[in-house]
Amino acid sequence: MASEVEFDVWTTTLFNKFLAAPANKVLDWVGVQHDPAHPWSNWMTMEIFVVAVIVVVFAILKGRLSVDRPGKMQHIFELFLGFFREQANDNVGHGSSKYVPFFGTLFLFILFMNLIGLVPGFESPTMNPAVPLGLAVCTFLYYNFQGLREQGVGKYLAHFLGPIWWMAPLMVPIEIISHLARPMSLTIRLYANMYAGEQVTMAFLTLTFLVIPVAFLGLHLFVAFLQAFIFMVLAMVYVGAAVSHEEH
Amino acid sequence: MKLIRRLCFLVAAMSIGAIPMFAADANTGGGGSGDLKLALVVIGMAIASGLCGLGQGKATASAAEGIARNPGAVAAIRGAMLIGLVLIESLALYTLVIAFIAINK
Repeated sequence: MASEVEFDVWTTTLFNKFLAAPANKVLDWVGVQHDPAHPWSNWMTMEIFVVAVIVVVFAILKGRLSVDRPGKMQHIFELFLGFFREQANDNVGHGSSKYVPFFGTLFLFILFMNLIGLVPGFESPTMNPAVPLGLAVCTFLYYNFQGLREQGVGKYLAHFLGPIWWMAPLMVPIEIISHLARPMSLTIRLYANMYAGEQVTMAFLTLTFLVIPVAFLGLHLFVAFLQAFIFMVLAMVYVGAAVSHEEH
Repeated sequence: MKLIRRLCFLVAAMSIGAIPMFAADANTGGGGSGDLKLALVVIGMAIASGLCGLGQGKATASAAEGIARNPGAVAAIRGAMLIGLVLIESLALYTLVIAFIAINK
């Protein structure tokens, strides 16, 4: 979506100053039109920053894990893990523990990316359509791969034919379109929520400078949590639908 | 009451019948058609938001009634309500995205 003036976050200026050459090479090899002085965009560098922060947090956590005397950090992350396992069990059914790492990664990554936009000086990577699109494509490939692995290629593709075999010519286009609509809806839901939240806060900042934008920042905080949770739950539902063995 | 209903219907029919008037005004050049595009996009967005509000109201009302009937199931009902609200919200957001695309084209 067009923006009037591109404002560079401090990470972007750093990356453009020092790492412009490799980025230019990669973009030219792929064939993307870009301004040679400005290959890194805000969302790319902020995403890398978020990944670096998450890796550091988990590296610190790993050093503090202990069976006998768990510390505060371990308790917090055990709460998270219990939450992921319970949700996966509700939405995927039995055999859900194989997929919990992916869902947990999705939730923590998206949550962190959403929340970092609230800190002054940083920008949410999920505010650009590219980032939710990447996550949605990963989820799409993941649930299809898990469905193919769990049920075998033939049985998984037989799902597209629908419940009754002679309705197949009607069911196949409907199923294909509904499967293709899933990553699209995941992308647009996450992107539009984050983008609209920031735009509304901006609009109210220019209208009433002082107290009212805090309400919208609070709403954006709530929406950040909710959108991360919904992305994870929908990924679980899709994986559950793909790997379910229907007991007749 | 019947007279008021008929009057309302008459006003609505006359307003709808006046729409071809816009066809003459839309040829006033870039400024005019830009305004028309903006007005239509805003009306579309308003309809989407209004209907989304109705849908979410219905979902929340059913959730509140369910909690009132069965206070033990609050967690499950809250989970279902949140998922339903987000999915309804996303329909209004699709319209918002199309509005952005139409305005920036």
